[in-house]
Amino acid sequence: MGLLTNLRDSISRVTDGLFAADEPKRIGIYGPPNAGKTTLANRIARDWTGDAVGPESHIPHETRRARRKEGVEIERNGRTVTIDIVDTPGVTTKVDYKEFLDHDMEKDDAVRRSREATEGVAEAMHWLREDVDGVIYVLDSTTDPFTQVNTMLIGIIESQDLPALILANKTDLPGADVQQIANAFPQHETIPLSALEGDNMDEVYTKIAEYFG
Amino acid sequence: MPHQCTTCGRTFPDGSKEMLSGCPDCGGNKFQFKPAGATEEPAGDDAGSPGASADPSPSTPEGPTGSTADQGTSDGAAADPTPDERAADPSPGEAADATRPDAAASADRSSETDGTEQIADRSDEDTAQASARSEVVSPDELDRASREVENTEDPSPAEGEQPGIDALRDELNDQFESIRIVSPGQYELNLMELYDRQEYIISLQEDGRYVIEMPDAWGIQDE
Repeated sequence: MGLLTNLRDSISRVTDGLFAADEPKRIGIYGPPNAGKTTLANRIARDWTGDAVGPESHIPHETRRARRKEGVEIERNGRTVTIDIVDTPGVTTKVDYKEFLDHDMEKDDAVRRSREATEGVAEAMHWLREDVDGVIYVLDSTTDPFTQVNTMLIGIIESQDLPALILANKTDLPGADVQQIANAFPQHETIPLSALEGDNMDEVYTKIAEYFG
Repeated sequence: MPHQCTTCGRTFPDGSKEMLSGCPDCGGNKFQFKPAGATEEPAGDDAGSPGASADPSPSTPEGPTGSTADQGTSDGAAADPTPDERAADPSPGEAADATRPDAAASADRSSETDGTEQIADRSDEDTAQASARSEVVSPDELDRASREVENTEDPSPAEGEQPGIDALRDELNDQFESIRIVSPGQYELNLMELYDRQEYIISLQEDGRYVIEMPDAWGIQDE
């Protein structure tokens, strides 16, 4: 099974490589819940297309279905890079409706949100395997990056040989520690930013063009 | 309480699924089926010797049917269902103790000696129960339950204790389940398993079922 799967993946990757020269790359925005993935996706989409991708919220698991914004054209240094942005639900190993009860939510709604969030994680993992050409991995720089989820996802991304950009988000917050994130994943370049405030987005776009162009 | 664990005596209502993965109290996996109203203390059912229980008071084994037996002796053969009983009854003397319980056992529905007959029937009861139950419980569930019982039998058939089963279940969950429903609204996800699966879970339902999108024949779905 695993052998066939690998074979199939290799074949599809080779054919993708042959035909995808001018097709936009699908870039998945991954990371734990509440890292600011949708805020970043909206920032990118608004900056280059004028539209938003989806609603942002401080309640975890606001994004429970992967949302795609296609044909985002980013201009850098006189050349244009076209990408499809896939904003994915936050990946986690545990989803508990009780977490949502603190946010003034009725139990029924919290249970439903929890179920949808779980489906969302399953979907995000599926897309990571099948459907993305590169990953923007968003981390909240005010929290500890050494988690099982981060380690596992970065490991998967590396094993797939996907180009990956690590973003240390929320630098506008007082407790932000970009260095901690850089130390956690020294094999990757870490770019600090505040997607909410739009800080350092220029460097982010330059790196997106460089990594995924 | 038609089902009863033969090891610890715990009883279960008819159609109970609790016992499908072994007795929750002692882990035993042998149960006897008792029709409604026929329950007695399980202890001594098969261990107690018929003679000992009959010896102290000859009327004890006859308790429930005593009146019938008495009528039998006074009214004659017309009211008596079995000739055996009549043969035993006219000699109530202590000398007949050895044969008496046997004779009573054949007629007396609820005496302790009758318990041994039920025990002898247990294996038949089990298969009958299993087939009857399979109409209520889905085949998957039954299958899963029987597998768990087999697993608990490995160390020792009678000592599969509750913690052992739980630990085993957890271990299996860790190994095979991509999404574990702890309770409605609470989920644990095995990310590697979710990532490794070709099929894709698109919808979860509260009853523990889920909808998956099956992969096409390999190599086709990438346009």
